[in-house]
Amino acid sequence: MPDNWGYVLAAYGVAAAALLGYWRHLVRRGRALAASRRGDRGAT
Amino acid sequence: MMPRSATTRVLGWLALLALLVGLGLAFGYAPRESIQGNVQRIMYVHVPAVLTAYLAFVLVLVGSIGYLASARAGWDRLAAGAAELGVLFTGITIASGSIWGKPTWGTWWTWDARLTSTAILFLVYVGYLLLRAMVDEPERRGRFAAVVGIVGAANIPIVHFSVKWWRALHQPSTILGPEPSPIAAPIAAALAANWAAFTLLFVYLLVRRIEIARLEEAAFLGGARAR
Repeated sequence: MPDNWGYVLAAYGVAAAALLGYWRHLVRRGRALAASRRGDRGAT
Repeated sequence: MMPRSATTRVLGWLALLALLVGLGLAFGYAPRESIQGNVQRIMYVHVPAVLTAYLAFVLVLVGSIGYLASARAGWDRLAAGAAELGVLFTGITIASGSIWGKPTWGTWWTWDARLTSTAILFLVYVGYLLLRAMVDEPERRGRFAAVVGIVGAANIPIVHFSVKWWRALHQPSTILGPEPSPIAAPIAAALAANWAAFTLLFVYLLVRRIEIARLEEAAFLGGARAR
């Protein structure tokens, strides 16, 4: 059977993109919430 | 004791290191499989992803039961975070399995028992997340979601044993089965390392997700007070 490296790269690429995308989403959401919390504290 | 964010950061670096070791073992240590060739290396993503998804959905079940029993928000945060990650890892399982299926089975998708039950599992927990997004009031959201989280867990054994219960194109379980695993030692070692790395990554992402849920609740409560 041929090695089909393209399929291997595609599978790892999709997994990496999904995990990295989710991690970045968490980082951004965490930063936005922390900033709004600091803003609230500053306002009071 | 280290502050929580420092502990989380250490966990993140450990997860990254474990993933790099797992990649090294998958491509540098595990041999080329004799029948499928190098395309079999997709297994080192596919199998850890589905095992991590099982773990996530078991935690949704635990968190859901805990929330219904105690009404403590921490259980609901655990269930919600684990459900989100379960959907992510099930999505990776389906995508990597589909990519693996094309060169080995000649098709991206077939309505085989394992594939179909996994797709249903995915959709049930997407529904769980949609339900959470539709209900604003935290206590009602937690109760409704907990019921779905408990009922949805019935799908986990269906997915796992589907290859035993029905005639399936998908191969039977070679790990988590009653018989000793027939996998060669270097392949098993690479698989175990990647499984450990995925589990570590899952724990890291779950801790971060729960921290964010706590901040979101504080923001919601602050907003409700301001109104």
